[in-house]
Amino acid sequence: MLSITFYSQFSEVLTNRILQQLNSIKTLKRFQVEKLIKAEWESFMSTSDDTFSGDTLKIRLPHKALETGIYDFTKYDFNNEFTIGLVDASNGNYRVKTIPYKKIMNILLERTGMGETGESYIVGEDYRMRTQSRFFKDSTPHSIVVKTVGVTNALNDKLGKGLYKDYRNIDVYGVYGPIQVENLKLVILSEIDKDEVEAPLENLKERLFILMFLVIVIAILISLFLTRIITSPILNMKNSLKEMAGGNYNEINEFTKNSNEIKEMFEALDDLKKSLQGAVNFSKEIGSMNLNSQYTPKSKKDVLGKSLLKMRDKLLEFRNNEHISRIKNKRQLVEGLENERQRLSRELHDGLGPLLTSLKFYIDNHVDDKELRLEMGKIIDNTISEIRIMSNALAPSIMDDFGVGAALTNFTKDIKKAFGVSIIFEDLLKPVNSKITKNQETHIFRITQELVNNTLKHAKAKNIRITLSEFDDFISLFYFDDGEGFKEDHVILGSGIINIKERVEICNGKIQIQSKPRNTTFDIELPIDNENN
Amino acid sequence: MKTIKLVIADDHELFRNGLNELLKRHDDIEVIQCVSDGEELIKFIKSNPETDIVLLDISMPNMDGFGALNKLKSINTNVKPIIISMHDEGNYIAKCAKMGAYSYLLKNTDQEELVKVVRIVSGGKKYFSPNISEKMIDYMSDNTVSKDILSKKETEVLTLISKGNTTKEIAAQLYVSSRTIETHRANILKKLNVKNTAELIIKAVNMKLI
Repeated sequence: MLSITFYSQFSEVLTNRILQQLNSIKTLKRFQVEKLIKAEWESFMSTSDDTFSGDTLKIRLPHKALETGIYDFTKYDFNNEFTIGLVDASNGNYRVKTIPYKKIMNILLERTGMGETGESYIVGEDYRMRTQSRFFKDSTPHSIVVKTVGVTNALNDKLGKGLYKDYRNIDVYGVYGPIQVENLKLVILSEIDKDEVEAPLENLKERLFILMFLVIVIAILISLFLTRIITSPILNMKNSLKEMAGGNYNEINEFTKNSNEIKEMFEALDDLKKSLQGAVNFSKEIGSMNLNSQYTPKSKKDVLGKSLLKMRDKLLEFRNNEHISRIKNKRQLVEGLENERQRLSRELHDGLGPLLTSLKFYIDNHVDDKELRLEMGKIIDNTISEIRIMSNALAPSIMDDFGVGAALTNFTKDIKKAFGVSIIFEDLLKPVNSKITKNQETHIFRITQELVNNTLKHAKAKNIRITLSEFDDFISLFYFDDGEGFKEDHVILGSGIINIKERVEICNGKIQIQSKPRNTTFDIELPIDNENN
Repeated sequence: MKTIKLVIADDHELFRNGLNELLKRHDDIEVIQCVSDGEELIKFIKSNPETDIVLLDISMPNMDGFGALNKLKSINTNVKPIIISMHDEGNYIAKCAKMGAYSYLLKNTDQEELVKVVRIVSGGKKYFSPNISEKMIDYMSDNTVSKDILSKKETEVLTLISKGNTTKEIAAQLYVSSRTIETHRANILKKLNVKNTAELIIKAVNMKLI
């Protein structure tokens, strides 16, 4: 575009220059010709002795009287050679002189600054060339008809310049104008071939085209190169982003990074990928209910991260609530069970027991046969002691009145008596101001009962050691037996360990079980001052 | 002949009646009242302070046997309580004896024994049968409240520490958890006002604790 504008401007300037130069040449030539004619005329008029006859002048003048003046005698010349005739008809003399053709031609042949094709020539009113053409040197100028725009205009007394076709039918830049001497009807033209004028323009044009072509080729090459270094990474990035949009954050290839900007873009993409992967991993963790996993939001505007964190917190809350309500349910269940047992135990102990003693009194009062009376009394005593055992097994009333320490002491004593194992219970609860709660006592008693029962049933132990200690912030129940031991994951559901764990959980306590042959320990800790218990 | 004035306090009517029937057959014993709980008993005793003996059950609504025993001490009366209970554990027996019971009977005691005890107690003497005494003594021997600075367990722990045992070893020997031993150790340090084991040993030796 630029080159075209530049070219057209340049061509315009060049054309103007050429026309200006042609104009000055033409004007110069015209003045020279006019000057020459005038000078000839004046010298002719000043000398009165020279006379010429038509014969000496190789012209055949018309036989009519000519007035004094300057004439174009070409058509009267024998050879139709350009002849300007000077006629003096004054004083009765009739003198004729011609201006030599050579003198005019000398002026016109001076072609400095006209290049290879520039020429100046004179055309008569008959449209025939008067002076020799540069191009048709062999033919007589009179035989060449020049009916061009320039000639026509000039014959109409117009000065002008322009691009038009000359007598050879070739485009020329020409300047034209009439020669104004007396009544001579001649025009002078200076012309130069358009081709020559425009040769440098053509050259320039060609060069411009070559340059343009080169520029285009280079541009294409550069764009190809740029495509390689910019587009292809961007395309790759597009593909990566597509992959990511599709939810795949893992299989994103590494690319060669060519420029800093691209590199930074890739680093940004990499960061994005990492942060998304982080978020994905985090949500995976959450998905698998691993709610203790941590995630730091990438920035203040990390909406995804924040909502994930929110989700985690909600889930944690839900889980905690669920845990709490589950524990609560369990606790209620167990408490209901314990209450029922206690009621039944009391019923047996305090209801049935006294009835049986009453029966014994009745027998004492009404059976006179002493032997029968003793017999019946014995049966009743056995029944009562049986009921006492049942009642204690259900819920020892001693626990209500004297606490779990007394209850366990009693319980272990009974076990020792009944099974003959060495069982030692050590009660290290605080004798005064003990902070153990009724519920904790019940759970500890049940847990110990369960543990002892398990040992007796499965472990074939010889020694059982139980220590119940109270400290300022926790209660410790430590159980040991030297039985066969067990593998925790192989324990049958019925063996009570699940019950034990549940009871520990209800008390918000901790339990540690270690078992190997001849050394099985249960280490249970219940917190003190927990309002939930 | 002066009869023994006796009150029966038990929440079971059948039992009260049976006992009443049984005691009626002995001329020297007069059942002057039957009440069903501690509150009624205290009310009756307040208006009848001349009562000799009360046969008192432990498990009763409103006010139980322990409460009644406590209350009776604060009333100006010569009434001598005999506990008659289903509970045969040493704890109950010891507690009642401590609270001023003159005797402790199980509900299935033979009537001969019952009458014998009533007669002994009416004379102002305390009486516990060998069977009952044994249970009480068993319990008491297990539960001697030490006046020492350190508890029995703490002394054991201290001894083992002084012998260079680790917490784990001590725990294994005493059948307790490591944490328990650590807590015991911390408590011992606190009680003896020392900061570390070295100081502890020196102070313990000085105090002749080990």
